[in-house]
Amino acid sequence: MASTTLHSRLSHTQSPAITRTSSSLRQITGNSLTWSRAFAPDRLLSAVSHSSLRGVKGSVKPLITCAAGTEPVAAANLAPGTPVRPTSIMVIGGTGTLGRQVVRRALDEGYDVRCLVRPRPAPADFLRDWGATVVNGDLTKPETIPATLVGVHTIIDCATGRPEEPIKTVDWEGKVALIQCAKAMGIQKYVFFSIHNCDKHPEVPLMEIKYCTEKFLQESGINHVVIRLCGFMQGLIGQYAVPILEEKSVWGTDAPTRIAYMDTQDIARLTFIAIRSEKVNGKLLTFAGPRAWTTQEVITLCERLAGQDANVTTVPVSVLKFTRQLTRCFEWTNDVADRLAFSEILTSDTVFSVPMNETYQLLGVDQKDIITLEKYLQDYFTNILKKLKDLKAQSKQSDFYI
Amino acid sequence: MTTATAGLTSTTTSGVGGGKLCSHKRIANDFATLNTSVSSSNGFNCWNAATNHPRRRLVFAKASSSSPPPPPEKKQDQSDNDDVIDDDQKPSSVSVMKRLVDANPVGLGRRSRQIFDEAWRKFSELGQISRTTRTNDESSLLIQEGGPMCEFATPGAQNTTVLVVGATSRVGRIVVRKLMLRGYSVKALVRNADQEVVDMLPTSVKIVIGDVGDPATLRVAVEGCSKIIYCATARSSITVDLNRVDYQGVYNLSKAFQDYNNQLAQLRAGKSSKSKLLLAKFKSADSLKGWEVRKGTYFQDEVAAKYDGGMDAKFEFSESGDAVFSGYVFTRGGYVELSTKLSLPLGSTLDRYEGLIISIGGNGRSYVVILESGPSADTSQSNLYFARISTKVGFCRVRVPFSSFRPVNPADPPLDPFLVHTFTIRFEPRRQRPSEAAVGGSQDLRSFQMILEYIKALPTGQETDFILVSCTGSGVEVSRRESVLRAKKAGEDSLRRSGLGYTIIRPGPLMEEPGGQRALIFDQGNRISQGISCADVADICVKALHDSTARNKSFDVCYEYVAEPGKELYELVAHLPDKANNYLTPALSALEKNT
Repeated sequence: MASTTLHSRLSHTQSPAITRTSSSLRQITGNSLTWSRAFAPDRLLSAVSHSSLRGVKGSVKPLITCAAGTEPVAAANLAPGTPVRPTSIMVIGGTGTLGRQVVRRALDEGYDVRCLVRPRPAPADFLRDWGATVVNGDLTKPETIPATLVGVHTIIDCATGRPEEPIKTVDWEGKVALIQCAKAMGIQKYVFFSIHNCDKHPEVPLMEIKYCTEKFLQESGINHVVIRLCGFMQGLIGQYAVPILEEKSVWGTDAPTRIAYMDTQDIARLTFIAIRSEKVNGKLLTFAGPRAWTTQEVITLCERLAGQDANVTTVPVSVLKFTRQLTRCFEWTNDVADRLAFSEILTSDTVFSVPMNETYQLLGVDQKDIITLEKYLQDYFTNILKKLKDLKAQSKQSDFYI
Repeated sequence: MTTATAGLTSTTTSGVGGGKLCSHKRIANDFATLNTSVSSSNGFNCWNAATNHPRRRLVFAKASSSSPPPPPEKKQDQSDNDDVIDDDQKPSSVSVMKRLVDANPVGLGRRSRQIFDEAWRKFSELGQISRTTRTNDESSLLIQEGGPMCEFATPGAQNTTVLVVGATSRVGRIVVRKLMLRGYSVKALVRNADQEVVDMLPTSVKIVIGDVGDPATLRVAVEGCSKIIYCATARSSITVDLNRVDYQGVYNLSKAFQDYNNQLAQLRAGKSSKSKLLLAKFKSADSLKGWEVRKGTYFQDEVAAKYDGGMDAKFEFSESGDAVFSGYVFTRGGYVELSTKLSLPLGSTLDRYEGLIISIGGNGRSYVVILESGPSADTSQSNLYFARISTKVGFCRVRVPFSSFRPVNPADPPLDPFLVHTFTIRFEPRRQRPSEAAVGGSQDLRSFQMILEYIKALPTGQETDFILVSCTGSGVEVSRRESVLRAKKAGEDSLRRSGLGYTIIRPGPLMEEPGGQRALIFDQGNRISQGISCADVADICVKALHDSTARNKSFDVCYEYVAEPGKELYELVAHLPDKANNYLTPALSALEKNT
């Protein structure tokens, strides 16, 4: 009952209100907390018993099938059956930028990896090729989830909605269903990737949702680890490095925001150290790269490494903000507005970075093992320029024969 | 990166005529994609064009500053765009052509929409923090999946095919995954390919159905493989099973692999660099020619010799078809020896080999093998090198690596196999141990008999060819331990004698845990007491493939432990794994070869 109200609240905020203040969104946070208090802790804790499950069933409409599916498993959980092997993990969002690195790292460390991917015409063959088991399921269809979770010890959740779909369906409704299902099925650990500073920017829908999910996870009582991330180095390749090499225009803002980019391979590595460490259980970790960079600095670095000047188109942040305001005026452009939401942050001097010393110490990681952006981009350009040269030489030769 | 290369190459190669051709092509393209572009233009795009003034202004401002237009979103449109760039530099006749094409309203509309889309995409990206762009997936795929940027990339993996035997075992499963991640081609030998097995293996693993107990199926399995990882183990401790998998399996497979190597070599009209070199084979009376029996004594003490019973030895071809070297030495400090000058086949020298293998039968005495090296024309300058070998009662094959030969005169340089010209096997009554099978006290350690079958040289190489996962026996039940270990030992021995470069890993009791968590101990000599995770064993297998220090080594491995007082024998050589960690090389270089 409560969860449905929250859903409707969330959708309210997306409805064509002409001016949405951040306070109305704050309300959601408040709501979600009360909602959790009202529903999650006691009910979910006793979720193994049938009667309470029925209670869940009665109160949450979209989750009926989910709860029903878990009943036998929950019952089996009570019996001293075959224990789930700690090496069996489920990765949600295994095809994504971070997810695929997580899958790879897990396979290499000897885990049995299962990946939940949406059924699609072109299946994620690369995951299967690495040795992961691919199961079809969709977070937006809760009835597909329970069957995929049988025999899973740890869930690693790196999923987020695609840019073109509404944020709410995957990132909120899907996640809630997943966490409830995980709880009911006795999943022993849930790792959730969130965004750094998500508690400080309720005006950005994605961050707000991530924050609510963090809270929901905490209240659910599952053994969990929340990892907040800043930015991925891999994203910079497509955004800056490739356009510069192709001599196309690079778009940047004049925002003073700094982001501590991090290599997803490093994130995956640290994640698994965190998963295995008992000290980290129930904690909130933030992973940040060694240094925070502004957009302009990244572009300058790319220019230097590529040996050519970028054709930079600078868009003032005010234009971005204006566009966002404009797109919010219409219901059918709300998704667009959500996508532009980060412009709100860009105006501030926010630094997306945290000192990592404590985290390194907690995990027992050496700081010099974490790759820096300079090193990462340098590796990229060295390799790509070499490859281009090879291909060029090859194509010349083949032309010779034409 | 495919898009980038396409752009670059077409700019460099298309000439004037090429430009014209491309323009025509573009018209065709325009019409071909007309349908799709119309159908795909949804409300979103219309709205873009209609409402958003600031963005439109941006695009126009950019165009007036005469920079190339932003890249279109779809990949197949890439060529179009490049043509436009090219055309700008073409002579006027072509540009007239271009203008004509541009005048086509459909093309104009479509292109303006593309430009707009792209601009919008880039624009909206600015409003995001860490979303990666989907359109560049292909380029990032190329870098990340097995490219040089990937932390798992292994040089040489692309052209290596590995046969994994026991691919569904606890270790084998992880080995297969690790190999796939590193870009190896993998063949998996399974007994039957039912759905469960197929599901367990990655999709591009080539599955070969066969059984290690059946040499015929193995011939197919080893085809095209350059390395073998053997992690199969018997499912029961019934002697037959043990024998079939742990001993005969290894033997059959190493034999099949050698046969395959030889077959390949014959195609190249040469000898396989992995095959053994026959130095002597005793199968007829003629083969005994050139062998010379000598007697001698270490002491030049006439007085002592007077009271001795003397000594005698002969080397003859028996009626049963064996070459028998037998005799007795009662003289104190005396010895008898059998010696020959080595005549190597033309074109082969012993420096391409790393040891000898002698097939010998007899009553279990130990012997000294002596190699004489130096310029063959002048034997007075020769240096002598010796190695002690012990034999068992009955037939056995003894592997004597060149590295185990010590100079008789300690001042001499270490043995150089290239210069070896004389082979001698010597019997001396000193330091003989009574053999186990002795009946009563009747054996006299001063007499001996041995049957020589053949002497071969073992080839050398850089890398290991065959990795065998054996066991230390510490996790096995006591009642079964002996029989398991015996089978494993027999398998290990048959591998050592095969001439393939081998790595034998004897892990402690296996645990199903993620790997890379704890420090490992590499040791030789059955001292380890801890278990180890399957993933770590798999990691060692994969790392050993291209590690020259792993060749011809057998070692025990387990998790770190605190040794009992008085037994602290290990030193910390490598620490927890990090990104480019290669703990194997330092760990293994401390260990002895050929054990």
